[in-house]
Amino acid sequence: MEREAAAVVELRDIEFAYTKEDTVLKSVNLTVQQGEWIAVVGESGCGKSTLVRLLNALLQPQSGTVSVFGEKLTEHNAPLVRARIGMVFQNPDNQFIGETVEEDIAFGLEGLCLERAEMERRIEVYTGKLNISSLLLKHPGELSGGQKQRCAVAACLSMEPEIVVFDEATSMQDERSRRELLDVIRDMKEQGGYTIFSVTHDVDEMLAADRIVALQNGTIRADCAPTSFFENKEWLRDCGIELPFRLRLEQQLKARGIGQSEISKKLQQPGVKQAVEGGRVRDRLDESKREEKIE
Amino acid sequence: MIGWMKVNARKKSNSEADESGRKSTRIDPATGGSEAAAPIGIIPAGNPQPTSMSEGDPAIRLTDVDYTYQAGSPFAAAALHDVNIRIRKGTLVGIAGGTGSGKSTLLQLLNGLLLPTGGSVEVLDHALLPNMQKPKLNTLRRRIGLSFQFPEQHLFEDTVEKDLMFGPLNFGLAREEARLKAVGAMKSMGLDEALLKRHPLTLSGGQMRKVAIASVLAAGPEIVMLDEPTATLDSAARRELIALLARLCREEGRTILMVTHRIEELMEVADEWIVMHEGRAVFQGDADELADRAEELEHWGVAVPEQFRCWAEWTARLPQLAALPLPRTAEEMAKRIEEAVRGFAERESEPEDEQQKESEKQPNRERSKAHA
Amino acid sequence: MRDKLIIGRMIPTDSRVHELDPRAKITAMLLFTAALILSNGWPQLAALTLLSILVLAATKIPAKTYLRALRPLRWLMLFVFLFQLIAGAGNGALNLSAADALLWSWTWGPFTLTSAVLSSALLAVSRMALLIVFTAMLTFTTTPSMLSRGVEGMLKPLSGKGTGAERFSLMMRLALRFIPALLEEAQTILKAQAARGADYEEMQLKEKARLLLSLLVPVTVGAFRRAEELTTSLEARGYRIGAPRTAYRQLIWRSADTWFTLLFAILPLGALLMRFTL
Repeated sequence: MEREAAAVVELRDIEFAYTKEDTVLKSVNLTVQQGEWIAVVGESGCGKSTLVRLLNALLQPQSGTVSVFGEKLTEHNAPLVRARIGMVFQNPDNQFIGETVEEDIAFGLEGLCLERAEMERRIEVYTGKLNISSLLLKHPGELSGGQKQRCAVAACLSMEPEIVVFDEATSMQDERSRRELLDVIRDMKEQGGYTIFSVTHDVDEMLAADRIVALQNGTIRADCAPTSFFENKEWLRDCGIELPFRLRLEQQLKARGIGQSEISKKLQQPGVKQAVEGGRVRDRLDESKREEKIE
Repeated sequence: MIGWMKVNARKKSNSEADESGRKSTRIDPATGGSEAAAPIGIIPAGNPQPTSMSEGDPAIRLTDVDYTYQAGSPFAAAALHDVNIRIRKGTLVGIAGGTGSGKSTLLQLLNGLLLPTGGSVEVLDHALLPNMQKPKLNTLRRRIGLSFQFPEQHLFEDTVEKDLMFGPLNFGLAREEARLKAVGAMKSMGLDEALLKRHPLTLSGGQMRKVAIASVLAAGPEIVMLDEPTATLDSAARRELIALLARLCREEGRTILMVTHRIEELMEVADEWIVMHEGRAVFQGDADELADRAEELEHWGVAVPEQFRCWAEWTARLPQLAALPLPRTAEEMAKRIEEAVRGFAERESEPEDEQQKESEKQPNRERSKAHA
Repeated sequence: MRDKLIIGRMIPTDSRVHELDPRAKITAMLLFTAALILSNGWPQLAALTLLSILVLAATKIPAKTYLRALRPLRWLMLFVFLFQLIAGAGNGALNLSAADALLWSWTWGPFTLTSAVLSSALLAVSRMALLIVFTAMLTFTTTPSMLSRGVEGMLKPLSGKGTGAERFSLMMRLALRFIPALLEEAQTILKAQAARGADYEEMQLKEKARLLLSLLVPVTVGAFRRAEELTTSLEARGYRIGAPRTAYRQLIWRSADTWFTLLFAILPLGALLMRFTL
């Protein structure tokens, strides 16, 4: 039964269109192994969000098959699959259903038909992990965007999914919250057990992923490791990605004959350095003085 | 008038104003309290040469500004404290700060959407003071445009053209003139005229954003304020938009205020930076001064831009770089590094040991301390 | 906008009223409304006022806050008052002969203002104010989710096996959660319009109406966008109407709830009684 590594997600010859005229996805094939972190990238309107919405049958393809956890996705098994796939969306306000953080997390757990004691346990564990234990009784209006988004992540993880999809989850966040959230994803990756999809415009997020799936006009333009992706100027241009400053500098230096040797070694992995600094930021989270003020 | 002269007399370098500004707050009420207590509509602040656009001309001056939401109610929430800011005409200013730092409130004070609850706001030749009778503000608002965070908030008509003409018509232009302004604004934002007949909500995200900004430009403002215009755009679109804004500033001579939480993206083009933190303007100065206070940035809730990081890493290895101003572009930085590396290699090829590295870091660190 | 509209926000104090079962509070509210409608004179109103003051005091929320809840509706109340006054005064001449217990009357053209008309206009406004304050009390002491749970609990026996109660409860919960957000959105668009030279506060009535009308499209579009995102996230979190769920918070009916409900149950009866005996 066991293949070398179980494919968690398998998309075969996917075609998808909202209306007859414009096809959003064309002949998409994708296999994702357990534990991978996939960054789905591309210009706005290229079909990124559509792609991830196929995974838990929020959308159904016109043709082709979606298999998740080795099972072909049908209308019949969609509810079961959804329980194993968590999603975090862009706007934290529009996924906050409860009146308080506690109730919002409980909302998903109620659907799993858990006992009260188990709900309490999970709420405690996951608010702890996301560093929002002190906010349990807060109304969303009293939370900052970053806090709300961490609440959304806690709500998602508390349902103990095997696949977690971040659909532009960092794009509405300010810089600090963006980094915090990125650290959360890094931790999840490190901890293992999660297969992660992140739809993103954020270069740091792309660099931190294991693999980049780049879409252009509904087809997969590139599917490779971040390092090779960022070396290909054409891909970057087609996907609306501007090289981050650090990589631009590195290229400039290379062009001037500086940096092949030890000099650039230190700069090669921006992810590493930021991960260290990110850790520091997170320690400071608790003194969340920046709570909320009316902007 | 007296108001300007008094403020001018206290003119200080920005970093100084940060520390001593508070002191002068205490002095001011004694000497200048009376003028603040006599609010009478818009006070023309008597700029001697309104036509000249020289560098020193202030476009905006905030003196000891406080703002409290719902002042006097149980839900009162202070949003700004003691803000002292001065912005010259024709400059491109980046305003950074985390969520809730007061950035958006600041912008809304500048065009009179909000009136300060303390201090004075002087914009072009208008002054906005606490408790003043809500003045007719259209003469001011025609000259200072504000683009809100979400483009959808600007687009409520059924064609792009109507949306663009909304401002000019309100400011009293004839239809034909307004139409010309709309076309001009589209050009300024690098948009195709054909879009004018489209329904705004059928545009792509990037186009919608540019149309929203064009709707502000159509009125021909001298000052353009933008609240996080790059959020939710992809990185290439962001760069393109910033290039457009820089053009508005350099070629059309407009003053641009852009709120962002990514200092990095605006680094190349911003003349000056303001950092807001917990309702205070904790920093005003240029990129070099900001680089000197890079350590405080995280505390202020903004990310240290990569330019600073890379430059700091290189100055740590090549101490002669520390004396140079911060290069704004990757190309320029590479050039400076190249020069330093070549010079270094020519002079001596000593092996670097840890101790030397340590000593190299020293001057840079001392420099930043001196500024802080 | 959010600050002006303070009804709909729970204000936590550790009062007994907060702890009551939402079903008891909703029932009390209905009974109170019935009593208000049935009461037609100052003595009944005084009794109701006294009772509400007692309940309000028990919430430990300052009286000032309740007065603030009335503020946004002050124009409506003024309108009701004037309407009653003018309508009453217009008919005043007709009633003049019929009325015998008049303290005074004052005639101006076709209008005759009598003490009875003034009294009934005042009565109408007072009833309205009481109703608003009482509603405010309900929302100040109960979170919207508890309210919707209460409504669901009360409707469930009515809807039998169907999902009507659940649907209604979810709808209410989401509405309460998102109406403030929509109002805020409308507020921002008004600001964006003001920034482009159309200041709502400076406008003539006709222009105001036109401007408000122009909000309709963007706010509706915004509402739909929100609704769409919301349903997607509800679905993604495995929510299906009618699917089995457990409840994180169970509603518990205590004896205090029974007493509270009974206290209010005597009100409409009392009002009826007074109506026929006085």
